[in-house]
Amino acid sequence: MRMRSIGLASVVMVISLTALSSAVSTARPKFYRDDPLLREPESQDAQKAERSDIGDLYEMMYNLFVNPRYKPSGTRARNLNTIDEVPDSSWFTNRIGARTLTVDEVVRGPIVGDPPDPSRWTIIREKDVGVHPGVTARDANGETWFLEFDPSYYPEAATAAVVMATKFFWALGYNQVESFLTTFDPARAAFAPGATIRRPNGKRTPFTRDDLNAVLEHAARRPDGTYRVVAGRLLPGKVLGNFRYEGTRPDDPNDFVPHEQRRELRALRVFGAWLNLTDLKSANTLDTLVTENGRSIVKHYLQDVGSTFGMCNDLHEWDLSWEHFYQGNTTVKRFVSFGFALSPWQTVKYVEGPSIGKFEGDRFDPRTWRPQTPTTAYLELRDDDAFWAARRIAEFSDETIRGIIHTGEFSDPSSEKAIADIVIKRRDKILKVYLPAVNPIVTPALDENNRLTFENAAVAADVAKAPEAYRAAWRQFDNATGETRPIGETTSGTASLEAPRELPTENGSFVAIDISADSPAWGTPVRTYFRRDGDVWKLVGLERMPETIATRVAGSSVKSETQAR
Amino acid sequence: MDAGRTWRIVAIAGVVAGLGRAAAAQSLEPQSREAVVEEAQAARIANLHPYAPAKGERLMDKAEKLLNGTTPSWHPFFESAYRGGGFALGAGYLQHVSSFNFVDVRGSYSVSNYKRAEAEFVAPRLFHRRGELSVLGGWRDAPETHFYGVGTDTTLEDRAFFGFRESHASALLTLRPARRLLMVRGGFEVARWSLDGGTGSTPSVDNVFTPVTLPGLGTTTTYLHTRATAGFDWRPSAGYARRGGFYGVTAHDYHDRDNQLGFRQVDYEVIQHVPILREAWTLSLRGIARTTALKDGQQVPFFMTPSLGGGDDLRGFSSWRFRDRNSLLVQGEWRIMVNRYLDTAVFFDAGKVTAHTSDLGFHDMKSDYGFGARFHTPIATPLRIEYARSNEGGRLIVAVSPVF
Repeated sequence: MRMRSIGLASVVMVISLTALSSAVSTARPKFYRDDPLLREPESQDAQKAERSDIGDLYEMMYNLFVNPRYKPSGTRARNLNTIDEVPDSSWFTNRIGARTLTVDEVVRGPIVGDPPDPSRWTIIREKDVGVHPGVTARDANGETWFLEFDPSYYPEAATAAVVMATKFFWALGYNQVESFLTTFDPARAAFAPGATIRRPNGKRTPFTRDDLNAVLEHAARRPDGTYRVVAGRLLPGKVLGNFRYEGTRPDDPNDFVPHEQRRELRALRVFGAWLNLTDLKSANTLDTLVTENGRSIVKHYLQDVGSTFGMCNDLHEWDLSWEHFYQGNTTVKRFVSFGFALSPWQTVKYVEGPSIGKFEGDRFDPRTWRPQTPTTAYLELRDDDAFWAARRIAEFSDETIRGIIHTGEFSDPSSEKAIADIVIKRRDKILKVYLPAVNPIVTPALDENNRLTFENAAVAADVAKAPEAYRAAWRQFDNATGETRPIGETTSGTASLEAPRELPTENGSFVAIDISADSPAWGTPVRTYFRRDGDVWKLVGLERMPETIATRVAGSSVKSETQAR
Repeated sequence: MDAGRTWRIVAIAGVVAGLGRAAAAQSLEPQSREAVVEEAQAARIANLHPYAPAKGERLMDKAEKLLNGTTPSWHPFFESAYRGGGFALGAGYLQHVSSFNFVDVRGSYSVSNYKRAEAEFVAPRLFHRRGELSVLGGWRDAPETHFYGVGTDTTLEDRAFFGFRESHASALLTLRPARRLLMVRGGFEVARWSLDGGTGSTPSVDNVFTPVTLPGLGTTTTYLHTRATAGFDWRPSAGYARRGGFYGVTAHDYHDRDNQLGFRQVDYEVIQHVPILREAWTLSLRGIARTTALKDGQQVPFFMTPSLGGGDDLRGFSSWRFRDRNSLLVQGEWRIMVNRYLDTAVFFDAGKVTAHTSDLGFHDMKSDYGFGARFHTPIATPLRIEYARSNEGGRLIVAVSPVF
């Protein structure tokens, strides 16, 4: 009996401790004084991070044959601040959409240094990433560059794609390599004394003129014997290999959000569809260890964005952007029909031109666009992630797009125009698909006269009609307990609503407002939170979609979307 | 102390302890969002470690290195000693001896007791990437090779067996003077063929024929074989192609050191792949004619005569089903791209063997049809499974190379 009593008492104690601990943990406020966070801190030193690369074969097999059985979590991205935005980080910098970028700024893109001096290239080794021919070389100033040539069948197209894509992705917020269009004259090329190339036996031996000739044989040669190249500047810091589209780096303490839960990586499905980034894979990314503010941090780059626009790995790849390398449903369809069940890529009309490649916008549908293989982050995309991405794309004006495409330096103006027209067409399709797909209330503000104003991103982009009315349900919000108390409801035919009279006035008080529209698609309210800071209301929270939504296994969604097409 | 009192004391102590812990915890609670993030980052410090690939990833990385051929490696080898040997299983070991050159030692054993062992040295990058040299030495034993007689009028009931062992050493140099399109190839081989009656359930050739009625029967012959090829090849790869073609002529001279069974042979081959609708389909056509010419007073031994039948030509017929001094084969395939790694195809083969070149026409040809699947990479076809049907029945073909 005694033993039984002590045992019972112990259980009670454990229960009380547990209950109190959980009470402590749930007592965390919903909003902190520094919300919304504008920069994701890197508080720990990552100097022990080591190089790790992902094998091409492994990544391809995993993405093609494991990921189709992946069931997306359906959860909201986990690297967002409280107003549903992605804070700046070692992954991402808010640029277009967060501030006004001039056309000149976007056209300059990631470039901060001087272009290479191409008067004499000194080759130091082969180019070991990407499918198009290239070498690693030092320019006449002794700076190291990665040179990539146009394949013979796509003169100007591959080099232009790299330059243009780096500017788009830079403006979208990603870390990019500084890339310049320049010239390579083999007659004036030299070989560094220690220049080597990896041979089939796995060993490195001296880089020879014949090795260079082997590269140039596959490159588009100009009539004067020179070659147009895109030169990518060597990234600063210690190379740590590729980042993965799922999980975290186990050697980076600051990397605590699984990559598939990072919105900017999920959103590459939308940005990739827009710019046709078909080779979306870890092998085209790079982590480097750099020192910032006296601390080693890991910086994450989209390193190779050259498989964009009309570029593909080979002249005869017609299915790129329409199908993954392998899809079960299309395999079965073509198998049983002896190929007569045609897939869209077999009949789609591309704009003709070797400097354009295979690019089109008429049959493009961002929902059915496919990279070569699906990454986990790609599969995790939710409508709110896509909406976030579409808003950034909406910020690219026709003028900005044409300005970027002009940096491709096409000798044929019609190629430049054709690519720009297609990018604009694809932009408009993305906006039409993703902006109205969720309640598109953005930039809510509560002014000193207690008037709530906001914008409708879909209406502003002219891809949806304004609703008959907007409705706002007002609640007082207790930041400590999370409890709400209804204050009242107001409606308006415009994006401007008056607040109920009972709005709290004391400093530090919170109000939660559910904003919805008289529209079936936008009936689900966007919940916004404002905090009274002195005499003004500050937006501190925005929730566009539930924390978790129902999902299906990835392969089944591929099937249904393809069939819908 | 009674049990009830104990219970109360312990419970009170528990609550007090809990409250104390809560108060302490509250003082450690982060006071800002930044602190919340820093807390999560700090929590990872204790468990930091370098990336360690899981077993599946390690296996894939190993496979990738093996496929790239950058490490000395064992590899499977499925090629039989001779056509008709049935499923063969074997292994090889590839070792680079310099930056590009390698030696591959391999062997196989088939369900029909065919044996093969050989070593090959390959120099794939000669003359500034214009040439490739292969030096091969080996031995093979095929104890159960079919022979149905000469001509196309033979029947299945005529089937007999013979066996042979061959030791051979050869060198083959391929040159592409412009590195593409034009291809010339020359080679030299020493081969010693030893024939015997073979093993099988049907009669041995020794029981059906005599050396007079069947030249080469029971002989041991040493050939000095020279060959030369000239052709145009604009296929992306001979191992797998959906476009391009090959047009070539190969001349052989088989010199018998005993001046009994020497002869000359010329092969004319045409391959054309016609892509349709962005290579969704490919119409693949092949024609190959082989003619032999006698040397003075010598004969073409039966085991060296051009033949048809088997998984690479007349697929609906048994291996070596038809033999004679000359042969003609035409093949057509409608290939369907199912996905990037799998093609299916329906096909039609027709061919004939003749005693005289003047009879090599398109009449009275033996034919078959069928369908199949091919697992391929951009440059190779490591597995081909087909079913072919002819007037002599159906045949399942499993091969580790393209048909053409």
